[in-house]
Amino acid sequence: MKPIEFKNQASQRVYNDYISRCKRVIQILSAEDQKECMMEVNSYIYEYVNNHQNDDELTPLLNILERLGAPEVTLKEVVAAKKINQAVRTFNLKHLIQALLLNLRNGVAYIVLFILTLTLVCFPVAIIMKIIDPVKTGLWVGKGHFAFGQIKQQEGISEVLGNFFIPVVIILCIALYFLIIFLLKIIKTKKS
Amino acid sequence: MKNEFIKNWDTQLKKGLLPFFVLKALETKECYGYELIQTLKDTFGIDVTESTIYPLLVRLMKDNLLVHKWIEQTSGIPRKYYYISPEGKANLAEMKQTIEEVIIKIKGQ
Repeated sequence: MKPIEFKNQASQRVYNDYISRCKRVIQILSAEDQKECMMEVNSYIYEYVNNHQNDDELTPLLNILERLGAPEVTLKEVVAAKKINQAVRTFNLKHLIQALLLNLRNGVAYIVLFILTLTLVCFPVAIIMKIIDPVKTGLWVGKGHFAFGQIKQQEGISEVLGNFFIPVVIILCIALYFLIIFLLKIIKTKKS
Repeated sequence: MKNEFIKNWDTQLKKGLLPFFVLKALETKECYGYELIQTLKDTFGIDVTESTIYPLLVRLMKDNLLVHKWIEQTSGIPRKYYYISPEGKANLAEMKQTIEEVIIKIKGQ
């Protein structure tokens, strides 16, 4: 992005400060999305200032920054939308969690997806617990009982997976991950 | 003079119709952000700020109703031109139909 050059030093400082704030807000995005966002914000500023040229350079700059609003507010929705695209595109768990956190307020569907993602994060923990404490960790079934993970041993319930616990949990992890991505794609398509 | 209730209702109505006006404005010619704001003002009498139009354009792009292309300028600051997509045109036609139905109902009262 080519920065706009102002003759007035105060204008340049105001502009630089606004651009820095924008950069901070969008730093969660991919380098490509960040570049696109900054180019767009820069273009809005440049076109407005260029079309409102008068002796005082600062006034149109302040006007356009006011019209653009605080980057923390204006770019919030933009960042949330672009992050979802990045999560679906990259299949990266980190982006997935960030995207869901950013979109939690956008509906129940994202809350459900977030809970599923938390479950997904818990599965590797269960695998570690199985390695550390194999006797107390597993899939426990008994009369009126069904538990997954680590429990205190009780009479009437038994662990049913045994040595298959770790492979089953790995398969569940993969299946759940693809289910989350699939649901995310469905939500995106439905919203379109 | 409009009372407070009508003013709020008017704002909400225009806000709700904004995606329609954006698609309508882009139906005939591609625009970059600042140009689109001026077109909305000149053609439809709607005064929107960049803080409203930018997220809306992103949303319309996400919904595949618009496409964009960056065009280099001699200033070195490129312009992002927005174009209506075939899906956008189809949606615009449906929106027009809905608005016409509402108007017919209002006039029929």
